[in-house]
Amino acid sequence: MGSFFHRHRGVTPYLLLAPGILWLGIFFVIPMGFLGYQSLQSGLFPHFEFTWEFSNFSNAVTDYHEQLIRSFVYAGLATVACLVLAYPLAYWIAFRAGPWRNLFLLFIIAPFFVTYLVRTLAWLNILADRGPVVGLLRDLHILGPDGRLLATTFAVLSGITYNFFPFMALPLYVSLEQIDERLLEAAKDLYASSTKAFLRVTLPLSAPGIVAGTLLTFIPAAGDFINAALLGTPNQAMIGNVIQAKFLESLDYPTAASLSFILMGTILVGLLVYARVVGPERLTG
Amino acid sequence: MNTAWRLTKRHALTAYAFLAVAYLMLPIVVVILFSFNAPKGRFNYIWEGFTFDNWIHWDAILGIRSAVITSIEIGILSTLVATVLGTLIALAIVRHRFVGHSTTNILVFLPMTAPEIVLGASLLTLFLNTTAVFQLGFGTIFIAHVMFIISFIVVTVKARLIGLDRHLEEAAMDLGANELTTFRKVTLPLLAPAMLAAALLGFALSIDDFVITYLNAGSTQTFPIFVWGIARVAVPPQVNVVASAIFLIAIAIGLGNVAWQYRTAKRTQGAV
Amino acid sequence: MTTRITRRELLQRSAAGGVVLTLPGLLAACGGGGGGGGGGGGLKDVLNFSNWELYIDVPSTRKAAGLTGPTTLDQFTAKTGIKVNYYEDVNDNPGYFAKVQGRLSRGQGIDRDIIVSTDNDRFLGEYISNDWALKLDKSLIPNISNLVDAQASPPFDPTREYTLPWFSGMDGIAWNEDLTGPVTTVTQLLEDPKLKGRVGVWNSMGDTLGLIMLENGDDPAKVTDATFDRALAVVQKAQDAGQIRRFYGNDYAQPLATGDLAASMAWSGDIFALQVPKVKWGIAEKGGIIWTDNMVIPLGGSVPTASTYMNFVYDPKISAQLALGGGYMVAVKGVREEAAKLDPNAADNTLVFPTDEMFSQMHQNDPTMFSNPEYEKRWLAVQGK
Repeated sequence: MGSFFHRHRGVTPYLLLAPGILWLGIFFVIPMGFLGYQSLQSGLFPHFEFTWEFSNFSNAVTDYHEQLIRSFVYAGLATVACLVLAYPLAYWIAFRAGPWRNLFLLFIIAPFFVTYLVRTLAWLNILADRGPVVGLLRDLHILGPDGRLLATTFAVLSGITYNFFPFMALPLYVSLEQIDERLLEAAKDLYASSTKAFLRVTLPLSAPGIVAGTLLTFIPAAGDFINAALLGTPNQAMIGNVIQAKFLESLDYPTAASLSFILMGTILVGLLVYARVVGPERLTG
Repeated sequence: MNTAWRLTKRHALTAYAFLAVAYLMLPIVVVILFSFNAPKGRFNYIWEGFTFDNWIHWDAILGIRSAVITSIEIGILSTLVATVLGTLIALAIVRHRFVGHSTTNILVFLPMTAPEIVLGASLLTLFLNTTAVFQLGFGTIFIAHVMFIISFIVVTVKARLIGLDRHLEEAAMDLGANELTTFRKVTLPLLAPAMLAAALLGFALSIDDFVITYLNAGSTQTFPIFVWGIARVAVPPQVNVVASAIFLIAIAIGLGNVAWQYRTAKRTQGAV
Repeated sequence: MTTRITRRELLQRSAAGGVVLTLPGLLAACGGGGGGGGGGGGLKDVLNFSNWELYIDVPSTRKAAGLTGPTTLDQFTAKTGIKVNYYEDVNDNPGYFAKVQGRLSRGQGIDRDIIVSTDNDRFLGEYISNDWALKLDKSLIPNISNLVDAQASPPFDPTREYTLPWFSGMDGIAWNEDLTGPVTTVTQLLEDPKLKGRVGVWNSMGDTLGLIMLENGDDPAKVTDATFDRALAVVQKAQDAGQIRRFYGNDYAQPLATGDLAASMAWSGDIFALQVPKVKWGIAEKGGIIWTDNMVIPLGGSVPTASTYMNFVYDPKISAQLALGGGYMVAVKGVREEAAKLDPNAADNTLVFPTDEMFSQMHQNDPTMFSNPEYEKRWLAVQGK
């Protein structure tokens, strides 16, 4: 068996890829092809016609660039927040938790086995205007006497940050966990302070985790709609909300489709830039 | 002074870790608490009284039992399949150079970038055009879930694979192991934590998915579909009960793992 | 394919006039139905019914309402021998429509004989205007004469060819007593500075703009560009002034209960189901909108079977049980008297059994408003979408 792979070295990657890529090919690429077809249609539901309607794209950008930009800003802010909040936790689990580490991994992810709506209703209770948190913040004069946490940009950002937290934390952990502690010991033996050891050894070695976590958080967050829908006002509407509304309520499938491609395309371009910045080997090894 | 500083730093990190976990757990505590609530009306919004009734009659609401069973079945099944497929893709991308390498890389990211509503709707169109092969229901939900979980698996496993020290594998092969044995005995165990973490993420994605599932489920109900559907007219405490139970079972499994770790550690200690 | 067309034509023909068909033809096309009753063939022994969740009487709600005996679905089966597969898979109108429109637009059935859709948005009208709904067999629904006059001729189905009401609710204003005195007019809701930032409106065009049109003195059943502009301007002004906290679906109930909202546009059924004493509800001074969930027979459904069921629920005795066990208004004459026989106290609940005066304050939406793309776009723009 082993010698088969040895001789047919060139085939191995294709064999490894085949099942997964086939799955994506049939159940993702083909549907995307249909979506592309829809994006060039025009007309009103249900009488759409394929007319190479490239104006769908330009109109979409003209009409909804505000929501597009806002989505990227929100996703970016939430990603940074997730990184800052999750890194120390992932570090602690990787280096200090010992036999308890899998339990703590579950503590990170199990809250997200609970349905989103149920979690959010709980947050709406906790952060209610007349609840303990807002009350405390008003007493501390962090919030004005009429201040609120919900139905604000802060609420939407917090919602996105909270709900994508494990998508940052787990990849960080995965990358930190494999760092050999002896490397850190060696650094300290060479008289490096803990801070220096962290900055020069741990942080760079955890870079693949940071990259992975950033991608798994930012990319889906940019297309998120549910946090803005339940926690926001019209001033926080993201592109996901627009696409949702166009598709479900306006029955304007061509606009929804073209907006989706604009979102996807922009993320891809950002991805390529990001790869250039962090170095392509971080993305592909 | 140095020792004191080091001690503070050590404990500060632990304190932070516990605070962070507390933050993650905060709404879950409220969810569990409200599962014991006894609301007069149909909505479980404000505290009105304590009762064990909801836990005893957890499946009093029609449909809740089959919905949660379906969700768990699909969750486990789709996560298993996606983890296998995704790990294979990650291995191919990180370890090999081949024609179509960058295209594959991009293809893997794409499902994450697509908004759920159009992803689900386009997939539905595929199923509607192939009704001879695909009937809407459990099978189509499973297919959809694997499809959108794979990307997350690939990215997570890659994070580990990129930094994986090849020397261990090379050493194994120098000692006479062939590629397959090396993979089984060296690579796979080293990858296992990453695959576990990726699987946990995948399961969370599957068990909480609404939009894509709703469009492609036919008449089948998963737990999120049930919850969103009932929320129009009620939020019964039984929903909290089921949600809490899923969470508590997961934590119980984690505790079990801790106990198992301690036992294995003891055994190896004893062996030495 | 051929079988399907033949069957569809068969159903349409039988729906159109109760034409007696030859037995061999029936058996060939319908694969042999069970059950008896009624003229015309094609009566099946199974009914597939899609509805909203918690929208029918079940043992626990019957018990709470003081009703004994089997559920109305079981009573139907006992009476006609037709088993009901009851699916609670309608989450909201746009979502359900997105789920089924693919098959319907291909002329395929959706394995349902009855589905339910609301008349306060475009989707009910879409089923009818796209020929995705089958005509009722009124010869099998003699109880249709029990339909209340107010619902006899709705704008989206003036001669009740395709639809019959299931449950209704009223649009009004709810307020939290701890935070404010009664809020009785839409103007007060949208302009009283004491309520600033703690007011809720719906994200549903028909409901929100409908109430505002009534406040403006316009008729929500006959929308013109001018009346639409006037109503939309009111919303925009309130949004710009920070009066409106959020645009809600049905998730205004929790903030009302916790006090995040002092007052909100609200549906009668929700407030009744909430059972939080400090949250009160009333019809706005200038009147309210009545919304109705309608039963529709989609393509591929069995018209005789569906019509038989509709006839069953239009019996006031059954309808009363639905109202008491479901908690919503029904559109059947004589239902209050029947309910009083079952439970005198419950029959006094005006949210489920509104008085004639309340009925007279209710108006319906203009369906042409929903399918106007300009209006749709501007309504979404107000919400930032």
